[in-house]
Amino acid sequence: MSDASTNSDAEPDHDHEQHHQGPGYATPQAAIEEGEREKLAYVMSLYVGTDVDAPDFVAVVDLDPDSDTYCEIVDRIELPNRGDELHHFGWNACSSSCHVEELERRHLIVPGQRSSRIHVIDAKDRRNPELETVIEPEEVFEYDLSAPHTVHCIPDGEILISMLGDADGELPGGFLELNEDFEIEGRWEPPGEIEMNYDYWYQPRQNVMVSSEWAAPKTYYPGFDLDDVEAGKYGQKLHFWDWEDGTVEQTIDLGEEGLIPLEVRFLHTPESTHGFVGAALSSNIFHFWRDDAGEYHAEKAIDFESREHPDWEMPVPGLTTDILISMDDRYLFGSNWLHGEVWMYDISDPANPRRADSLSVGGTFGDVQEVQDRELNAGPQMIQLSLDGERLYWTTSLFSSWDEQFYPEEGEQGSVMLKADVDSRNGTLELDEDFLVDWGECPEGPARAHEIRWPDGDCTSDVWQ
Amino acid sequence: MSGHSNDRSSSHAVTLEWPDGRTRTISAREDETVLEAADRADIALPHGCLTGACGTCTGRLLGNDGPSQAAGDKDPDATVEDIFAYQRRPRALKDRHRTEGYVLLCVASPRADCRIAVGSSVQSELVENPWK
Repeated sequence: MSDASTNSDAEPDHDHEQHHQGPGYATPQAAIEEGEREKLAYVMSLYVGTDVDAPDFVAVVDLDPDSDTYCEIVDRIELPNRGDELHHFGWNACSSSCHVEELERRHLIVPGQRSSRIHVIDAKDRRNPELETVIEPEEVFEYDLSAPHTVHCIPDGEILISMLGDADGELPGGFLELNEDFEIEGRWEPPGEIEMNYDYWYQPRQNVMVSSEWAAPKTYYPGFDLDDVEAGKYGQKLHFWDWEDGTVEQTIDLGEEGLIPLEVRFLHTPESTHGFVGAALSSNIFHFWRDDAGEYHAEKAIDFESREHPDWEMPVPGLTTDILISMDDRYLFGSNWLHGEVWMYDISDPANPRRADSLSVGGTFGDVQEVQDRELNAGPQMIQLSLDGERLYWTTSLFSSWDEQFYPEEGEQGSVMLKADVDSRNGTLELDEDFLVDWGECPEGPARAHEIRWPDGDCTSDVWQ
Repeated sequence: MSGHSNDRSSSHAVTLEWPDGRTRTISAREDETVLEAADRADIALPHGCLTGACGTCTGRLLGNDGPSQAAGDKDPDATVEDIFAYQRRPRALKDRHRTEGYVLLCVASPRADCRIAVGSSVQSELVENPWK
């Protein structure tokens, strides 16, 4: 591998911390030092695909241990329509705009993965956010795009959303750009740069964006069919983009060991050209990096073995559906949804991740199957880490139709949110059995829970320029 | 024909059957989807994309023997293609699903009286856990 890829041309701005007036934090370390403990979480909560006659909602969860409503859903922002499938979401502005005085981290962009409807929520009042604007699906389809997924802000106030399909739910996908008034600006990239799309991350100082691949919406929406994998309908590539030009510079085929590369993350330090992607189906983690000649490379760095189960006909893959990097870039955390495991690896040498610890909880093989007498019914899925790296939280729903396939009880009982305490000095995880948020108790009926965000930035939302 | 004419379009009696035994019969016009007709009758059926891509609204054809169907018109071998016209291609369904009677209610308009299994559990019949 190359070295740690510090770019000698890039000059750190030492005055930045004192003078930044915009959203977020001057550096990842500033986020650790200045970010307060997360006292609220926003969590995507959904009824789509169940018989509950209610729209999906954004849950506001109380995470303040000193509060009387600790571990409770204290507010629900109900959306106007049923059938959205809330999934991933993001902010209008993050630390990448920390130099832009007039911007603030205030609006949540909340897409419907199935409906292609895009909601804008005003979170000025962090505890009681309100729906502000809705971009209807027909407006999105006009750009021959559908299935909005990852939301990041572009420095200076615009918003970029990865779109997984065309207006019919077929390929190709692309990227949709919103302006700072939350209107569709248009397609970000010239159509035809990619076929499949999923998650993306950008590293603006290095002028690079990386995107991953799921499948055409019409392929993954109804559920997971192994025949589709054999027919080559699922992705296995990473695309490295020229961030300024919006064009693909290099594509890396990860091969059979890199099937369904989903969550993709660069290290937080803006100097780095190292990152990781979780290949969900192959259940491998790939490390990628740029060499001195400017070429990107990707190599398998972690391999989670399939496991035999007496009641299953075939070895069960881990299904590594989410990863994140701690704000100090020391640890990679992730979830093996089907096995029932969260894990942390030391990535101080990114090419050679070293297993630090893991927890066996929920899922097919988890040692812990109940917390506070609540059946877990599914494995750890979307994860989020406190800015200081001391608390790891997760929810248990992957995608409504896939949940039905692998954990049918989750739709009937609802999801849970759990927490582990992280000792980042000693590299250990400990399940906090006093912590449980139960979506089975929602007033309209049991709901699923997916992506988690903190009100003031987190390990999967903030990028530095 | 089982349907009766009105100013706008013929309509058909579509009986929705849930796994718990509950049934409702609605009148669905030929120019609307089953999902739209159910919505008009204040019946909430699962749905997602509304474009035929996602399968959340999947129902399963149980027969063309709706309540107002004349006995002579009943055909136990009626297929989805005989009973419904699609307004858009049902992309979420594979060929095997279509031959097994699965139908996407967000894009399907009736051409005859029929009974359909509905509710979220129908969608989950489309795929199985491949490793179990």
